[in-house]
Amino acid sequence: MASCLSADLEIPFPSAREAEIALGTLSVDKEPKRGGVQRTLKVSDQILHVHFEAQEARTLRVSINSFFEHVNLVCKTMQSFGPPR
Amino acid sequence: MVIAIGFEGSANKLGIGIVKDGVVLSNPRHTYITPPGQGFLPKDTARHHREHALSVLKQALDEAQISPEDIDVICYTKGPGMGAPLVSTALVARTVAQLWKKPIVAVNHCIGHIEMGRLITGAQNPTVLYVSGGNTQVIAYSERCYRIFGETIDIAVGNCLDRFARVLKLSNDPSPGYNIEQLAKKGSKFLEMPYVVKGMDVSFSGLLSYIEEKALRLLESGEYSAEDLCFSLQETVFAMLIEITERAMAHCGSQEVLIVGGVGCNKRLQEMMEIMAKERGATLYATDERFCIDNGAMIAQAGWEMFRTGVTTPLEETSCTQRFRTDEVEVTWRS
Repeated sequence: MASCLSADLEIPFPSAREAEIALGTLSVDKEPKRGGVQRTLKVSDQILHVHFEAQEARTLRVSINSFFEHVNLVCKTMQSFGPPR
Repeated sequence: MVIAIGFEGSANKLGIGIVKDGVVLSNPRHTYITPPGQGFLPKDTARHHREHALSVLKQALDEAQISPEDIDVICYTKGPGMGAPLVSTALVARTVAQLWKKPIVAVNHCIGHIEMGRLITGAQNPTVLYVSGGNTQVIAYSERCYRIFGETIDIAVGNCLDRFARVLKLSNDPSPGYNIEQLAKKGSKFLEMPYVVKGMDVSFSGLLSYIEEKALRLLESGEYSAEDLCFSLQETVFAMLIEITERAMAHCGSQEVLIVGGVGCNKRLQEMMEIMAKERGATLYATDERFCIDNGAMIAQAGWEMFRTGVTTPLEETSCTQRFRTDEVEVTWRS
């Protein structure tokens, strides 16, 4: 069944290295299988690109919300304990 | 010299601890405390951990008086526990591991408790009673594995106590179990309730339903006081635990017994275990609330043991899992 809804986020970081760290941290946890959301992450230069696909707006929203909470924590961690060595 | 930092967030405690070759350098913890009558839900607990992780991490580094360069390995709780809080804590561990270019070790929460208990008490090869809000197991080591001899077949003993505390609307500060323990000291009239031991396993859900259903009526009629009910509940569930622990000790021919996990700091449980141990000529080992209750140092200590034998976890495998049995881990650090 083809996905009908999608969303794209572009999150800029201070450097490519920091974007790679965020990618490394955030790509470990897979989307829940039954949620029906597909998420792909990639980095180009210092931007983290996130692509979401889902059947339902509700699951898409939940997934994006949760992703923002996570990316926010990762950014705050880098601000407090960075820059990368 | 190896310095390990441990991140723990599998339940309502967020703890970060630093251990240097068996010495705890720091072990700060922040607990999510809910209003009386309420338990902690995954979403809110995860938010608590996200809000406090960075300040607790800073405190851990400051108290240990070390800088990130001094750390050799980052340890985090992979499971078992609540999914969202586990992930929130792991996110911080993964990020600092990359920032500081340090290896990661994924730790089983139960193994963390066992290794911390062994470190603090000096017990060599104990039969372990692991009792907390999420787990109830009797464990003994054999052939590179912590084997589960008996366990709960439904809810954990701590969950049973916590939920009864909610019926009585007891405070969750510092913990519901602590407040039950204080009331139980003043109880004297024993109410008989279901005592459910099935072979090596125990069950608490029927017992909880029984007391949940009866409690308010018994209190209103004045037949029993809240103190009496706490006393009766504790006596019953602890007796069940002592029974299966004793059977495991007899089976293994063990002369040591170690109590770990949040319920393990209950003095009455320790007292009952002491009596049983004495009758068998065995020694009881127990710790206080700093190390019994979930904390970061226990994850650092177990991770330190694993790291010492060459175990590390590649970043892409540092996921979390709600179910992760104690006997799934190969114990590479014991002979």
